Amino acid sequence: MRPSFYDHLHPPTIPAAQARLRYTLGTGGLGVFLTLVVGFTGILVTFFYIPTPEQAAKSVQELTFLVPFGWLMRNLHYWSAQLLVLVAIMHLLRVVFTGAYLPPRRLNYLLGLSLLVICLFLDFTGYVLRWDEGVHWALVAGTNLVRSIPLVGEGLYKALVGGSQPGATTLIRFYAWHLFGLMLIMMAIGVWHLFRVRRDGGIAVPPPEHRTTHARITRKELARREGLAMVWATFVLVVLASLVPAPLAPGIQEGSTSASENLAPWFFLWVQQLLKYGDPFIFGVLIPLGALLIVALVPYITPQRLSPTELGRWFPHGGRNVQILIAILGGVIILLTLLALLPLLN
Amino acid sequence: MRRGLLLASLLLFVASTYVLWQQYRIPKPIGITPSLTGQAEYCLTCHADLPEISQSHPVETFGCVLCHGGEPLALAADLAHSTMRGGANPSDLSVVEVSCGGEKCHSGTSQVDRDHIQRVITSLQATYAGAIAQVRYAFGAQPDLTAQMGVYAVDGLSAFDPTTESSPVLKAFGSNCLSCHLSAQPLEGDEYSRWSGCSACHSPAPREDGTLVHKLTTSMLYTQCDKCHNRGNYNLADMQFHPRDDTPTDRLHDYYQPIAEFTLCEWTLDCVECHTRQEAMGDGHIYNNKKEIQYIRCRTCHGTLDSLPLTYTINDENDLALRLAFLNPIADLKVGDTILMTDKGEPLWNIRVLPGVEGTTPTYELFSKAEGQRSTFKPVIGSTCQQKPDLQDARYCHECHATQR
Amino acid sequence: MHVIAMNAMPPKGNPLSRRNFLSWLVKGSLAGSALIGLGILGRFISFQSEGNPPTQYDLGLASDYPLGSNITVPSARAIIIHNSQGYRALSLVCPHLGCVVNVISDGFSCPCHGSSFMHDGSLRNGPASHPLVALRVEENAEGHLILYTG
Repeated sequence: MRPSFYDHLHPPTIPAAQARLRYTLGTGGLGVFLTLVVGFTGILVTFFYIPTPEQAAKSVQELTFLVPFGWLMRNLHYWSAQLLVLVAIMHLLRVVFTGAYLPPRRLNYLLGLSLLVICLFLDFTGYVLRWDEGVHWALVAGTNLVRSIPLVGEGLYKALVGGSQPGATTLIRFYAWHLFGLMLIMMAIGVWHLFRVRRDGGIAVPPPEHRTTHARITRKELARREGLAMVWATFVLVVLASLVPAPLAPGIQEGSTSASENLAPWFFLWVQQLLKYGDPFIFGVLIPLGALLIVALVPYITPQRLSPTELGRWFPHGGRNVQILIAILGGVIILLTLLALLPLLN
Repeated sequence: MRRGLLLASLLLFVASTYVLWQQYRIPKPIGITPSLTGQAEYCLTCHADLPEISQSHPVETFGCVLCHGGEPLALAADLAHSTMRGGANPSDLSVVEVSCGGEKCHSGTSQVDRDHIQRVITSLQATYAGAIAQVRYAFGAQPDLTAQMGVYAVDGLSAFDPTTESSPVLKAFGSNCLSCHLSAQPLEGDEYSRWSGCSACHSPAPREDGTLVHKLTTSMLYTQCDKCHNRGNYNLADMQFHPRDDTPTDRLHDYYQPIAEFTLCEWTLDCVECHTRQEAMGDGHIYNNKKEIQYIRCRTCHGTLDSLPLTYTINDENDLALRLAFLNPIADLKVGDTILMTDKGEPLWNIRVLPGVEGTTPTYELFSKAEGQRSTFKPVIGSTCQQKPDLQDARYCHECHATQR
Repeated sequence: MHVIAMNAMPPKGNPLSRRNFLSWLVKGSLAGSALIGLGILGRFISFQSEGNPPTQYDLGLASDYPLGSNITVPSARAIIIHNSQGYRALSLVCPHLGCVVNVISDGFSCPCHGSSFMHDGSLRNGPASHPLVALRVEENAEGHLILYTG
């Protein structure tokens, strides 16, 4: 019997150590599920969204208030997207703190990091599509930040915005990025990422001769666990979508002035805080890129100290350098985020 | 594992039914598409019990958003109301041009009497320019009684700023005496309670229990005017406002402060019967004093010993008088009717000449704007009035006729 | 003679075991959630925004359509014919698949699949199987012609 695509992703048995919830936290699988949900709900909201400056915010309001269960689809799309970014970050942290970036998984690590970056841009472009007062200044500041890059900045800005300032062309280009450009890239890299998981021998565990247990689980048991996780995830999404609505504000009007505080979307608050300190190119582009570079270099920082026998556990001794580095970086980003939120306390 | 799956499945099912219930709870949206905007709006979903604001602003034509602003598609109160102009009062002078303006509405041309906003924002009731000029002159801040400042800058007037005045008396004037102009917040108390902007006169104040009245009207009772007028006296000596402290029990004593005696007209008719649109809303020019804009006289309606009051016959179906009569249908005015007219040509559309016998003095019928009560009167000509023809100020008529207090 | 309700009797004579009950509960909850989800999807997709096309058109003064004239009204996709019997209106929408027919010398011809109609809208030939629809047109109190397409 020729194996199906499903059978490729679910081998007849896998080591039980690869499926321990306390090890993986289920973050990878959860990421796949959330991607499917965000994609499906995205198609549904596209049925009602109109990508012109005059109609965009109105169509979002029509969807939210007038379409039966339109509020649900929009909120599901919003929450699955935000949870996807969070789960992707948690997955990255899990991989770093369990040393699962060692060869042969270095390429897959970089693929995964690219997916995180793409998810952040998908989140940002989706945010802008609301075209309401809540996103107005993030759009202006964000596109102007691109302009601050020397040499290529102006050209990049024109390509992104399609004019001298954000307007109808910008909206349609962000729409094209959100629905096609970023989506196609994410699909390609995502499939490659999942393929590499299998190709690299599944989830990282010590080589067979160094395992403490040789228990294995069948694909049926694996499927049961995945199914259970999906039911739980769906429940959480439905509860969030029912109780906490996605943000909504009046549409962008020409000549509108800002509220007293304009906050960036939550995943870019740390960049907004950095921008308060100095030159936009240095603090808004170079430093965040530097942080990304540090994360990308993790598999290349003293990898020889970490032995494959230590895999499958949290905080292996050999990976201490990298763990401290990422913990500090993560702490700094969280601190910057909290500082950006301080004005809200007043 | 099984227990986990059972719990998760049950919870998911409960959450799904909760979603159904949430959708069911949403009230069915009630939308209208007003003919002037062509855009659907759903304000009526929550506000269906609001009465029509006036017969000249029907909701099928105007809708709500054209005047009030707001988000037409939102059914969540905070979002829906977030872009409303002027809060509950879109006629506040800060937003009136956007809410009430427009060439076919209330900021059109004077030739067709559609320039209300231009007139109001330069009027004395809005700028308070006359009072400011008088007080500044009295305390040496300006050399004459020419209006130089208003409560806001407009058309040659600069904005009165008490903090830049050197005299402490004028600073006190700024703090204590500026509660009665169209952009001011009124003093506390039901007797002062009114809106700002156009609604100060044209909309009833909130009720005593705090609920609002959704109404625009041209037939205002004297009580509307008395939210600012006849409320007390300003005392230049101590630069304070002294509210009236009498306790009136009838219309005459409630209408006016105990400062004078009045003729029958002055307390049986409401203010709007005599004081014209130009007097109240201005004529677009800056005046120095209300005496300059107040031009209605007893003789405007009653004539003199030598002359009948001015009249004209309506011959155009678009005549201003007919438009005014439409807003307040008390007199069944038609093309061909002859009505009274002021010296400046303003129609006194609720006073009509009754067809009479050639050669006799005509009789006039008046319909009160507030209640439509009909009364008739004859002019001074041919009566036993003792007036001197060249002494036509009100005080001369008052000598004999002002007996009521 | 007593009737045994076969489906109420679990197999092997056992009462409904707790395990089976729980399994049924899980399947039922999941199926119920799925059904609710499908129902939600159905209602979501079938929403129609406002904006039905108008069913009445004010064509202006009747005197603009004199005796003997055949005047098309593009916005209503109709033609007004004023002859000795009064005002008549024909829809110019081809009853075959909805293209707007052209006015030709001896009637109407559809450019999409070749249906053709006589002057009075009756079918001459073509894949269409019905004549052009006759629409109601009346003169109102102010002397305007009102076309009803609803």
